[in-house]
Amino acid sequence: MKKVVRLAAQTALLWGIYWVCNRFVQATGLPIPGNVIGVAVLFTLLALGVVKLEHVQEAADFLLKHLVFFFIPIAVGLMDWGPVFYDYGLVLLVAIVASSLIPFWAVGFITQRLHRKEKPCTP
Amino acid sequence: MYSLTVTFTIVITLCAYVACRALYLRYGHPLLNIVVLSAGVVIAILALCRMPYTTYVPGRDIMTFLLGPATVGLAVPLYRNRHLLRKYALAIVLSVAAGALSAMVTAGLIARFGGLPQEVVMSIVPKGVSIPFAIEIARLYDGIPALAAAFVVATGTLGSLMGATFLTRLGITNPVARGLALGTVSHAQGTATALMEGQEQGSMAGLAMILAGILTALFAPMVMLILN
Repeated sequence: MKKVVRLAAQTALLWGIYWVCNRFVQATGLPIPGNVIGVAVLFTLLALGVVKLEHVQEAADFLLKHLVFFFIPIAVGLMDWGPVFYDYGLVLLVAIVASSLIPFWAVGFITQRLHRKEKPCTP
Repeated sequence: MYSLTVTFTIVITLCAYVACRALYLRYGHPLLNIVVLSAGVVIAILALCRMPYTTYVPGRDIMTFLLGPATVGLAVPLYRNRHLLRKYALAIVLSVAAGALSAMVTAGLIARFGGLPQEVVMSIVPKGVSIPFAIEIARLYDGIPALAAAFVVATGTLGSLMGATFLTRLGITNPVARGLALGTVSHAQGTATALMEGQEQGSMAGLAMILAGILTALFAPMVMLILN
């Protein structure tokens, strides 16, 4: 029971930060999603010690463990978009493959250049 | 009748999630994607019951109510790994920025010159980031959240199936580099793959995934301007 109350209180705190950040974005018209600002705000609050890990971590860990659940209702929206995949399947495939390969190379190359001395691993 | 419909849609979604999660945890194959499988099951049931998507929307809004706070919670793993952030600051910022930007521009340009409708182009640009960021970025630029989610999952599945092999072929053997690449390009699914390679790769991938989301949101106004 105590655990449930604690989870609820921590979730409420996370929700409060999210709500404030969303209102801030709406008020300022900033072209950045409220949840992105929320992550930055919570990180800053943790770094400053205003919010302690104990105040949020149980709720955060629980919600993140089941994060994919929230994506299911959104993905169900695809039921109205079937024709796009029939009509443009090939272009979509090329776009997704190319835009994966190029950044794979870019990220790997840059990091490896900057940390050349470290031991390589054998995957 | 209304509340009955809402309850029904929530119950089938929850059941699909529990079943597909159990399946994934048991076999662990990247093709057994929980989002794809569960959404497929829910769509099939809705189609069988002849229920259009609009009947599902009220239930969807209830179920996604906690997505915002959950996303804010990503600051917790980011904070726990702050020593890694500090140690590899330059590499992380430079490479994740380059990776996020090249992913957005490549996807956007190919989609645009491939003749895709504008709202589809706007949905594919954020395809390399975690779903909650991608759907919000898509929404800001009149993209379609469901399509954005689909492109994110497609990218993640590709990355978790081929990413490790591809990096090895490119001669990327440094564990930090591999983790960053997998997290930047294929977000949570890439992070899961990186974790299978090792703890260091996994932590770096988790950091890269969150930072790629933030940087993609920051780059989006510029990239969308080029595409318009």
